[in-house]
Amino acid sequence: MPESSDIVEALLFASDAPLEAERIREVLDLADAGEARTLVDALRERYETAGRALTIVEVGGGFRMVTRPEMAPWLLRLAKTRTKARLSRPALEALAIVAYREPVSRPEVDALRGVNSDAVLDSLLERRLIRIAGRKDAPGRPFLYETTREFLVAFGLRDLGDLPKVEGQLVLPDGAAPETAVVATDGQAQAEQDPGPGGTDVTPGS
Amino acid sequence: MSTTETPAGLTLRVGEFEGPLDLLLHLCRTSEIDLAALPVRTITDQYLTHLEAMEFRDLDMAGAYLVMAATLIYLKSKLLVPPDETEEQLDPEAEALRQELELRLREYARVKAVGVWLGEREAEQALLWGRPVSELPSADEIPLEDLSVHLLERAIKRLIEEQNRVRPREIAPEPPSILERMTEILSVLRDTWSLLFSSLTGGERRRSEVVVTLLAVLELVKMGRIRAQQTELFGEIVIERQTGETMSNA
Repeated sequence: MPESSDIVEALLFASDAPLEAERIREVLDLADAGEARTLVDALRERYETAGRALTIVEVGGGFRMVTRPEMAPWLLRLAKTRTKARLSRPALEALAIVAYREPVSRPEVDALRGVNSDAVLDSLLERRLIRIAGRKDAPGRPFLYETTREFLVAFGLRDLGDLPKVEGQLVLPDGAAPETAVVATDGQAQAEQDPGPGGTDVTPGS
Repeated sequence: MSTTETPAGLTLRVGEFEGPLDLLLHLCRTSEIDLAALPVRTITDQYLTHLEAMEFRDLDMAGAYLVMAATLIYLKSKLLVPPDETEEQLDPEAEALRQELELRLREYARVKAVGVWLGEREAEQALLWGRPVSELPSADEIPLEDLSVHLLERAIKRLIEEQNRVRPREIAPEPPSILERMTEILSVLRDTWSLLFSSLTGGERRRSEVVVTLLAVLELVKMGRIRAQQTELFGEIVIERQTGETMSNA
C-alpha cells in the first residue's frame, strides 16, 4: 500500500483541472476534507524541502500541481515562444467587470466601460474565461455572464473573494462599504492596485 | 498608429484610449483634477481638442465619443447661463448629470485598476505550467455544470461553417437530351465512318452523360442508322455509320 501523500501526488499529477479536497477525500476514503488538505500540505512541504521543480497551488477551489515560477525561462524555451498569450487591456477590464458584478449583462458591461464590449466579451467566451449564466429579466432578455473556473485558474485565484476589495458599484456581493473614491490622479494610480480603506483615497465632496 | 501633436502640447496616440471614459479619465489625471470637483469647462475644452485629433475607423466607437462630447457640451452650456450668480453652479438637472458622469468616471477608474491588477496576476500565473490535458479516461458522466448555451451555439456555428466549406457551390451542366445526342452522333458520322463511344461522353465521363449517350446509341441502332460493336466486356464501343442492311451488336 503506497503512502497516502504519494497517492495524492499521483492524483494531482494526473489531473488537468484543480482537484478539490473533497474529491481527494472521496478517492482516498478519508474521514474529512481537512485530512485531504493536510496530505496536500505535507506533499507541498516535501517538494519545498527537497527543492523540487514542482509545487502545489490552490486555485479555482482545488489543488493543482504546477512547475515553480523559476522554471519559466526554460519552459518558454521548450515551447519556442517568448511569453504565454496574454489578454488585452480592454479584455482585462471587461473581465474585471464580470468578476465583480456577476451575473452581469452585456449592456451593463458596456455602460461601465463607456464603449461597446461585444467583441471583447466574445473573445472571453471563446477562451472560456466567462460563460453565459442565463438571461436577465429585462427588455431584450440579454444574456448574463459570469466567470468560470478557468478564469480562477488563469489568474491564480482560489475564489472570487481573492479579488481586491474595491468600493462603489464594483463591490463584491457581500461587501457594502461606504463609497470612497479610489483614484483621482496618476500619483494615486499605484494605490488603486491595492485599494483599501483610508490611505490615499479621496472622499467625494457630495 | 499615428502620433498627433495637440494644441495643448500633449502627445496623443490615436487609438490609445479604450473609449470616452478612458480619455476623460486620462485628462483628469494628467491635469491632476479631483473627480469630485470635475471642472466641466476645462475638461470639455480638452476633451474636444483631443476628439478633433482622433481618427476613427469604427463607427460605434466614434458614436460613443460623440455622445460623451454632447454630454460635456450640454453641461458646459448650462454653466454659461448659471441659474444664479454663483460660479460653477448648475441647475439641479445638470448637476445630477454631472454627478452621474463623476460616478461613471470613478467606477471606470476602479474597473481600470482591477484590470491592471488582473493583468499582473495573469503575468505571475503565466510563469506556472500545469498539465494542460489529462490522459485520464473521460468520466462516464459528463459534468453538466461545465456546459453552456454558448458552447452549443459555437458547436452549431462550426458545424454550419464546416458544411459551407466542404460543399462548394457546384453548377451541374444540364445533361443533353437523348434526341440532341442522337442528332450529334449522326452529324459526327456524316464526316467520318466510325467513332468511339468514349469520345462522345467527354473527358469527365459524367454518369448522366454516359447514360444519355448509351441510350442515344441504342436508339439509333434500333432505328438502323448506326452499327455498334463491343468486342470485349467493358471494352470500347465502336460506332459505325450503317450502310446497307441492319446489323447490330450492342
